[in-house]
Amino acid sequence: MATTDQSGRWHGEDSEVNHLRGRAFEATCLAATALGLVSVLILLLFVANDAFRPFSADIGWIATYAVTVLVPLAALTVFYYRLDDPAGEVAYVTSGLPVVGLLLTGGFVVLFTELLTVLEWFALVLSLAAAVGVIVAHGRYRSGVALERLAVLVLAPLVAVLGAPPVEFNYFVTDTAAALGLDVGLYYRVISLREAIMMLPFVPTDWMMLLATLVLPVAGLGGWFVGNRRESRRDGWTAVGLTTVTALAGLVAGPLVGVGVEGWLLLVTFVVLPIGIYVEGVVRRDEGRAGLVFPVVAVLGVFVGSLLVGALGFAGPEPWLDWGFLTSAHSRTPTDAGIYPAMVGSVMMIIVIVLSTFPVGVGAAIYLEEYAPSSGWMGKFVTLVEINIGNLAGVPSVVYGLLGLALFIRILEWPQGSVIVAGLAVGLLILPIIIISAQEAIRSVPDSFRQASYGMGATRWQTIRQVVLPEALPGILTGTILALGRAIGETAPLLMIGAAASVRLAPNGFFDVASMMPRQIFSWSSELDPAFRHGVLAAGVITLLAVLLVMNGTAIVIRNRYQRQE
Amino acid sequence: MTQNEMSNESTDSTPSADGATSSPDPSGDPLVEQSIDVEGSDTTTGSTGKPVIEARSLDVFYGDVQALQDIDMAIPEKQVTAMIGPSGCGKSTFLRCINRMNDLVDAARIEGDLYFEGKNVYDDDVDPVALRRRIGMVFQHPNPFPKSIYDNVAYGLRIQDQTENLDQKVETALKRAALWDEVKDQLDKSALDLSGGQQQRLCIARAIAVDPDVILMDEPASALDPIATSKIEDLIEELAEEFTVVIVTHNMQQAARISDKTAVFLTGGELVEFDDTNQIFENPEHQRVEDYITGKFG
Repeated sequence: MATTDQSGRWHGEDSEVNHLRGRAFEATCLAATALGLVSVLILLLFVANDAFRPFSADIGWIATYAVTVLVPLAALTVFYYRLDDPAGEVAYVTSGLPVVGLLLTGGFVVLFTELLTVLEWFALVLSLAAAVGVIVAHGRYRSGVALERLAVLVLAPLVAVLGAPPVEFNYFVTDTAAALGLDVGLYYRVISLREAIMMLPFVPTDWMMLLATLVLPVAGLGGWFVGNRRESRRDGWTAVGLTTVTALAGLVAGPLVGVGVEGWLLLVTFVVLPIGIYVEGVVRRDEGRAGLVFPVVAVLGVFVGSLLVGALGFAGPEPWLDWGFLTSAHSRTPTDAGIYPAMVGSVMMIIVIVLSTFPVGVGAAIYLEEYAPSSGWMGKFVTLVEINIGNLAGVPSVVYGLLGLALFIRILEWPQGSVIVAGLAVGLLILPIIIISAQEAIRSVPDSFRQASYGMGATRWQTIRQVVLPEALPGILTGTILALGRAIGETAPLLMIGAAASVRLAPNGFFDVASMMPRQIFSWSSELDPAFRHGVLAAGVITLLAVLLVMNGTAIVIRNRYQRQE
Repeated sequence: MTQNEMSNESTDSTPSADGATSSPDPSGDPLVEQSIDVEGSDTTTGSTGKPVIEARSLDVFYGDVQALQDIDMAIPEKQVTAMIGPSGCGKSTFLRCINRMNDLVDAARIEGDLYFEGKNVYDDDVDPVALRRRIGMVFQHPNPFPKSIYDNVAYGLRIQDQTENLDQKVETALKRAALWDEVKDQLDKSALDLSGGQQQRLCIARAIAVDPDVILMDEPASALDPIATSKIEDLIEELAEEFTVVIVTHNMQQAARISDKTAVFLTGGELVEFDDTNQIFENPEHQRVEDYITGKFG
């Protein structure tokens, strides 16, 4: 009782519990977090300001758009936040979907202008489909014979896409044909199905081929999704039919709008169809319908704003990052300079990286997690390998550049600075990251699933194929996309393998010399003209960050979807 | 004792009796003799089935630790054999020896013989995968795959290429597992949406869909509430008409309720007593078993 008398009450301010140190620690942690975030934010604002230069516009211009676009959208955001129903999410998705769809459309436009003709695409898709068809049919009717199955799995795609290399038999066939006076165009090798399609004497027009190989498959996927969700085949077919009709309407409407028939088809496939399916779902479920207003208000605001600005004669800003920047090549004059060839180079490099790294990385991860022994001297060896993969993930990127230089350029004598060399060198760099993240994903599959599968009398292969991989796939994809995000920004290996500082034309093939976005940005940083170092450079950085943001956003969407299922 | 009578009938009428002709001569095995002796002295039990699984001086080690010591045991066909004992006594280990699930544990080492239908399953020419296709297993915690109910039951049939009449086989398995009426309208729903007891019955349906000879159950009801447990117990008694059931349980009342034979394992991995369930619970031979059953320890 004596102590309570001295210190007042046991639960009051002057009790014996001391919170001071804890509170100080908490404040320090908060300060550290805030410092990091705020400094990155300031840097980004700085760069964005350089890239877009919003303050080069008249005050009236800013005020007009603030009133027509920013204020209504901000008000709507607050409204959604208070409403506390899915409207906010609906607004977010309906605004984001068109952006992603447009990016995809742009990707295909670049694909068709730089890499493939529509006919080449058509032939590739058809021959791949034929190969898949053969494999599936074989699996259905003769799955028992393991060796034959393997042969079909390997040969069907090869014959369909690549054809057979020159062999004795073909010399015989061709020579015989020539001796008989027949020229059937065999020329010592068996042509592939793909080449055969390209040699057809009559070809459908571009829009027909696009409709058959791009619009209809995607529409079919959409229809399957709708049919599943609504548990009605008819609704699925309706979705397919509507998409096809909308696409065909482009024959007339496309040229009128100014995007051409092919552009219309791509837009219908990647923008209209996904949005249509999503909006239909929102309307039917009647959840968060209010969110649909958001994109409408945004578009209307921009439209009204542009009318007002035109009428009142306000001058807009002169941003460095504009349509011209995205669609033109580097130039001596800063205002004409653009990033287009470097962007194409980056995308092609990513294709090389995905094709080379994903199978190798995931294969290695599966072996290490599912097959590799954990005891005995082999177990020790495996542990050693795993430790070294961890170490390789930390090796500086410039060293991988050196490896690429030595291996691909000096030894294999592939062209210096070509897309394939860049892709393989950067691919080596992210290979350990992909292996580690895939291992992590495979390890997170509960052991009880494996036990259940083995207990049913499944072989190890069946267990991996049917139980482990489907469960681990979202994790593997997330890890891979994040690693690709790292790859697209790597600069040092590109410098080492001699990627071009800037190119006028986008690369047309994987052995062409190319520049990539970070390499192009780096070369702008050493230009004498300050307009390059401040304006063009900032625009390039923002473009690179936008691509990264889209990739990481995709990874997050996949991960969230996966977690929601659990 | 209708249970026993029924199992006897089915033993006699099924052709699978032929499969046991090659089984090792029971007279050479002291344990079978002993159990037959007890059989004779116990008037309440009808008779014993033919042994379908036989362990002979089986030792199991995990690294340096011996988990099972010199186990001799003959498990009769189409009856429920329960294994009870305190934690860590090796009863689950023994169960996992039968279908060679211990092969998946690198540190496990097995010595001695274990015969299934007269074939030593640890012979070099035995493929553990083929063995597990004849000996199904149900685990302690319900572990359905994160697939639809239908795909879960069809899993075993698909991996064994028995895909003709798939719908029919799935329906039969679900009916035998007493789950059909509860799930027939939601076969496409995820199995993870079912309750714990339903999930465990789904796991049983999955195990019996491929029509194995033996079903091993590792404490199948220990993670379930009493009502789900009693459903599983009823199911086990029904299953014994067609399958040989071996069940590990912590729950002595459960063993007494559903099993025909009971094996008592005690600490150190010893099989102390193996006999008819009535005999074990009413008049055990060993003092240690009596102490365990009456709750003096364990």
